[in-house]
Amino acid sequence: MIPSTPDLARMRRERGARLRTAMGDKGIDALLLLGNSNVSYATGASWPLSDAGRANVERPVAVVLADDDTPHLFTPFGDDAAGELDIDEDHLHGATYLDVDEGVEVFAKALADIVPAGAVVAVDDITGAMHGGRDVLFPTWPPRSASDAMGPARFAKTADELACIRHGLWITEQAMAEVQARLGPGVRQTDLTATFLHRVFELGAEANVLDPIWQVMPDHQADLPWTTHGDIACPLLSSERALEQGDVLWVDTGIMYAGYHSDFGRTWIVGADPTERQQAQYRRWKEISDAVVAVIRPGATGADLTAAALAVTGGDKPWMAHFYIGHGLGLESAESPYVGTDLGEAYDERLVLEPGTVVVIEPVVWDEGYGGYRSENVFAVTDDGCVNLSDYPYDPYGD
Amino acid sequence: MATEILPDDPALRFGRRQRAFEQMEAHDLDVLVMGRTANMRYVSGVPLLWNAGTRPFGPGCVAVRATGDVYLLSTWDEGVPEEIPHENLYGITWNPMNYVKMLKGINANVEPRRVGTDAMSPLFAQLLPMAFPDAELVDAGPAIQAAKRVKTAEEIEAIRAAVAVADACIGAAISQLQPGVSERELTAVFMDAMASRGVTTPGSQDVARVTSRRRDGAVRDGDLVCFSGGVVAEGYTGEVGRTWPVGEASHDAFARFDALRGRLLDACQPGAPGSALLDAYAAAGEPLPAGPVARGLGLGFDDPVIVGDLPATAAHTRLEPGTVMVVTVQAGPVIGQEPVVISAEGPHVLSSSPFWNADRS
Repeated sequence: MIPSTPDLARMRRERGARLRTAMGDKGIDALLLLGNSNVSYATGASWPLSDAGRANVERPVAVVLADDDTPHLFTPFGDDAAGELDIDEDHLHGATYLDVDEGVEVFAKALADIVPAGAVVAVDDITGAMHGGRDVLFPTWPPRSASDAMGPARFAKTADELACIRHGLWITEQAMAEVQARLGPGVRQTDLTATFLHRVFELGAEANVLDPIWQVMPDHQADLPWTTHGDIACPLLSSERALEQGDVLWVDTGIMYAGYHSDFGRTWIVGADPTERQQAQYRRWKEISDAVVAVIRPGATGADLTAAALAVTGGDKPWMAHFYIGHGLGLESAESPYVGTDLGEAYDERLVLEPGTVVVIEPVVWDEGYGGYRSENVFAVTDDGCVNLSDYPYDPYGD
Repeated sequence: MATEILPDDPALRFGRRQRAFEQMEAHDLDVLVMGRTANMRYVSGVPLLWNAGTRPFGPGCVAVRATGDVYLLSTWDEGVPEEIPHENLYGITWNPMNYVKMLKGINANVEPRRVGTDAMSPLFAQLLPMAFPDAELVDAGPAIQAAKRVKTAEEIEAIRAAVAVADACIGAAISQLQPGVSERELTAVFMDAMASRGVTTPGSQDVARVTSRRRDGAVRDGDLVCFSGGVVAEGYTGEVGRTWPVGEASHDAFARFDALRGRLLDACQPGAPGSALLDAYAAAGEPLPAGPVARGLGLGFDDPVIVGDLPATAAHTRLEPGTVMVVTVQAGPVIGQEPVVISAEGPHVLSSSPFWNADRS
């Protein structure tokens, strides 16, 4: 059962236990985490994410020991973090500056006090200055990868994590309803973004995480940019381009709530109802999506999902060559499991869904000469199937 | 923002690329491999999809000194300038060995001795030596920062334009300041004003803070509210911060703020050490803020970083003409951010955002 309101303290405890179990399984004594999403997972801290330019300077850093229930947090947001996260003073440290050589020297001294000599250390990201100072920072080079432990821990979500994702989706969908109501000829793509951002922040979004996509899809692929693989180009950036009557929009974006990202995807038409041909595209999309969703359950592999989609189309991949039929969602907009990528079938066969795994299913129907249809929904794997966390109509398509 | 996605203006991108190649030469780098989005744009001139927060390292852009070639991770050619041909684009891939294959091709062409990267990951610390077996792998941070720290004239104009958007948006938020409004509503007004001006990417998202930090984030009479607005326009960050009271406020903290701001701006002289800004705090009798007193402004992360925790760095930093940074002015609860360009004549404040003034209110 997904609670209506997430219990953030329970969520932190359960994530911490999963992470330390994964560290034990993988023989990792200490994790050094710089990536925003990994720091959030390990410590419970979440904050309005900045552009990467600032995020690289004001960057919380976590150090997790396999035999310590409390993570160490180095944070520029100290006064806000302490009490709410149950992190005592011994584990709470001031900001660290790992993009600066002197910052790495200072941090290396602090790290030596926390991590015992001889410990197996894994890290997720290495700044240039850390690369330069690798001899003082890491006992061996290259260090172990933190994803060895983060990957298994983050693969399935707790009930509270799912509650966070569902609330973020609710905020996104409420805002999207207002955006869709505003849709009309002469409205610019950036106006849609203005309405969206205004509403999500009013509704309690912690941050926006993606520059919203409102891609106008042509009838012919030749009217899209050239691509390296010959498939369609998507997602393309938004601009001040004004929408026109009959434009088909592929909409894609997400926001953040309590650290967790949402993902929204629908196809809209500006000021017009779909033609019969466009309705058929939607029905085809729904047929593929339904077939994939029908096989989502614990024990199903990524290959089961792609096979279900390919059975409907007769072998043509109904997803973009540079993406996937489905991807995970959590503290990042796209995360493991990635299903149907260029990692290939053997990789998909090794991906086994568990209760709590989240998969965003996003088939694409391209009907050359008549454009196409794309939507996405967020599914959480349950004990015997899956539940759709998205709740947004397909207007103007559908019955 | 225009109605179509175009490469950065030629003057902007060629000026930047020339600096990057000059610094590759000065730092003896044959190949530069970049993972940070802003560095990718700095060298390629291509607008890239914005995501909030940090990203793990991967080879997103490669510059080759011997040929002047730039290779870019982009599955399509929208926004790609003519000097980067299709064969220099490589598409999104989930299989890291595809990057190795691409980089091996470059290695075979130029046989580099020294390859620099702007960041690294445990995975690529293993894979890059496979791609460049005969090269030394080094931190390219010093070369990239040397190129980026001093802005070209076109870059300063781009930052000025971004600050103008931030000014307008923070003004829109401040105009809504009244008892009963919430932090999130003020943030919403800022973001709406930003996107309505054609800029859809924030530089930061912590726009309004009631200094009393009530849990509900509601503003009441007598509160001070710190506004901190950052936008990313055409890739460049513009930031400005102001503190405004709701109703009447103590004049004392604002007077201290004015005095500190004057001392900090006086410290922003060409050729001065970064530590002069730390000294300005001491001279004003104000404690240093927890975070940086000054951070570089530009495309993504930029030098200088001047912070009390890194005294040696502050002492070694020289404020060269062409440096652009945002200076934090913090006197008790009154906090401001001032975007400043260091010119040969002295500091020039880029923001035109008004300050609260007791006499005017």
